[in-house]
Amino acid sequence: MILPPHITSTGKKRLAPADRTPVYAMVGNPNCGKTTLFNALTGLRQKVGNYPGVTVEKKIGETYSQHGKPIKIIDLPGAYSLAARSPDEAVLRDVLFGRRDDTPQPDRVICVVDASNLERNLYLVHQILDLGRPLIVVLNMMDLAAGAGLRVDAKKLEEALGVVVIPCEAVHGRGLVELKLAMSRVDLPLARHRWDVPAPIAPAVAELQASLTDADGRPPLIARAEALLLLTDLDSVRVAGSKPLSARTVAVLSAWRERWAGDGTDWSGTLIRSRYDAINLLCGDVLIRTRDQGPSRSDRIDAVLVHSVWGWLFFGLIMAALFFSIFSLAEYPMNWIDTHMAALGGWVKGAMPAGDLRDLLTDGVIGGVGGIVVFLPQILILFFFVGLLESTGYMARAAFLMDRPMSKVGLHGKSFIPLLGSYACAIPGIMATRTIENAKDRLVTILVAPLMSCSARLPVYLLMIATLLPSEAVPATTKVGIMLLMYALGTVGAFGFAWLFKRTLFKSSPPLMIMELPPYQPPRLKEIVRQMFERGWLFLKNAGTIILGISIVLWFLTTYPKLSDPAATPDAQIAHSFAGQAGHLLEPVIKPLGFDWRIGIGLVTSFAAREVFVSSMGVIFGVQDAGDSTTPVRDALRAARWPSGALLFTPLVCLTLMVYYVFAMQCMSTVAVVKRETNSWRWPLFQIAYMTGTAWVVCFIIFQAGRALGY
Amino acid sequence: MPSHLQLLPLCQLSVGATARICVIKGDDGFAQRLREMGFGEAALVTKLSGRTTSLCQVNGTRIALNHDAAMAILVEALPAGAR
Repeated sequence: MILPPHITSTGKKRLAPADRTPVYAMVGNPNCGKTTLFNALTGLRQKVGNYPGVTVEKKIGETYSQHGKPIKIIDLPGAYSLAARSPDEAVLRDVLFGRRDDTPQPDRVICVVDASNLERNLYLVHQILDLGRPLIVVLNMMDLAAGAGLRVDAKKLEEALGVVVIPCEAVHGRGLVELKLAMSRVDLPLARHRWDVPAPIAPAVAELQASLTDADGRPPLIARAEALLLLTDLDSVRVAGSKPLSARTVAVLSAWRERWAGDGTDWSGTLIRSRYDAINLLCGDVLIRTRDQGPSRSDRIDAVLVHSVWGWLFFGLIMAALFFSIFSLAEYPMNWIDTHMAALGGWVKGAMPAGDLRDLLTDGVIGGVGGIVVFLPQILILFFFVGLLESTGYMARAAFLMDRPMSKVGLHGKSFIPLLGSYACAIPGIMATRTIENAKDRLVTILVAPLMSCSARLPVYLLMIATLLPSEAVPATTKVGIMLLMYALGTVGAFGFAWLFKRTLFKSSPPLMIMELPPYQPPRLKEIVRQMFERGWLFLKNAGTIILGISIVLWFLTTYPKLSDPAATPDAQIAHSFAGQAGHLLEPVIKPLGFDWRIGIGLVTSFAAREVFVSSMGVIFGVQDAGDSTTPVRDALRAARWPSGALLFTPLVCLTLMVYYVFAMQCMSTVAVVKRETNSWRWPLFQIAYMTGTAWVVCFIIFQAGRALGY
Repeated sequence: MPSHLQLLPLCQLSVGATARICVIKGDDGFAQRLREMGFGEAALVTKLSGRTTSLCQVNGTRIALNHDAAMAILVEALPAGAR
């Protein structure tokens, strides 16, 4: 494929265009059906990962031209504008401008447009036209537009813009053949649409364009588009991995900004108006209203689902179904995984000669990785629900309803989605914060998300409740009540700390939320299931690799140094190990909470993952083959005593220990994700300090007050 | 801005009423994003529901705004049936 010389990069690493696979970028507004189209084009030939340094999903897929040549497609995050307001949008901007070394600069762009909302969607197209790349405009959701009484004349739009325009219904597979044919064209036309930069900012654009071309090595048209953006994008978001601008460009930019700050003109507003004027002129011929728009199907559904009474009732039902699925339905696959992991461990034990290598494989690798894999069903169920709610359009309504309660603590409705996700696992929850535009709100949401009780706390709660209330005669409702109390405590803690942070560390003006509510759509199960497995796999890869490493380290710490007596009991051996020594060192700190050195080892080892506490207790209290039941561990704990002969696990200690796990930051994987997300060690360390500090103080108060009251 | 206009914050617009956006206050980034989403000055907005959080329709799109965002948008209510 031969591209005009002025649109190919001057970068040294790039191969000659004819020798390599052409790269298309797929861009569009959120909810324009871009992902459906990407999936329809690429099928299973997709690679999902992350942009290094940011937790923004990176999707690259492959399709074939009509001549059988491969074509690469990068699915970029949805955005309303190149003027980025969130990390998602910043990635889109940086890839298009060639600011990222980790992603090839696209040769061509596919702009997906929601035909039922043409003017607003054309705003991003209008910005992309400035880049001077060959462009294909896909008019998606033509059926929805027709339903809303709109007729979009693709031919006239094509004539006006000078680029290929293809009407499409990605959900029904219509227009895909035409799109593939267009993508196969060697001679994709460049835009004919002329739009003049408002005269007063033209000199500034020219000077900045020259600097970007000379000092930053940008091709001239890309430089012009970037100059326009830099001059008018006042609130630019920068993300890790983005190449910095040259000193000369920065100097030119600040000189012009200073000059404009003095005369008080709103150039950003002028530029937006100028673009919308051009778009309205375009749409005059292209868009025909065939009838007056009455209330749509979505309007009628919204009349119930965001109603002040019925809306909350429906929301409550959805949440109840979600929690029921996570905690009841997931039990069967979890037991299955647990049994098979134990069987695998048993098989390795039988097949290998006894020794350190065998113990490392069974206790370190299989035990450690099994610990995280067992939670996969719950995480997949959560992802399925999140996918279902997102694909039907209900998630935005849930955020809308939750906006009012969230505003009481200084956050807005968008923070609800990450907090909901954190009930299964804080990692996907923290990854979901990327849509929150305000950096302070985003950071506060990240900091409090791990306080929502995740599924890894469940085994600890179950063990403690079983130790606290062993009798079968105790009604199940009492046990469930205690469990719900722990969930409520974590949720109240998260909201309380959000309130505190927003009034102290992250004081800012109240957040301004603006969120589009997409039209309701029937759920696309194939897409939801695919996304569920993609996200599940990413979770396993991210968390599993860390857990594997930590498990091996922990195995080492609980195994060495070895006692010289080979007949020593496992608990004597563990007391002698590095972990045991650490537990003894820790005892003075945790004794005021009612915990001894053995619980201390559990606290140290479960820093890898909370559920490790249960298996650690099994090892420390000499329970063999604790397996999938908590019964033997429970009995061993109930028999455990202090050297003085007093019971160790009194009801008060069980309760205190549960509360400790509600608040304490006991998860290495979360620490790693927060580090990556915030790009510094400062926030994960702060998170460990404030959460574990709170856990200690609250537990101290509960234990000491409880003891004073005679419990 | 002509003095005879009766401006009110969007959050105070009654449900079902249509208004014209006249002034956008708030920080620059917020105003920029609103305008980019077609929610700029002179656009017509219909309030669909909400007291604390407003649900509005602009150019066929439903947009939710929290109380503080809706406070920052001053509109001129249009007579019933004007749209």
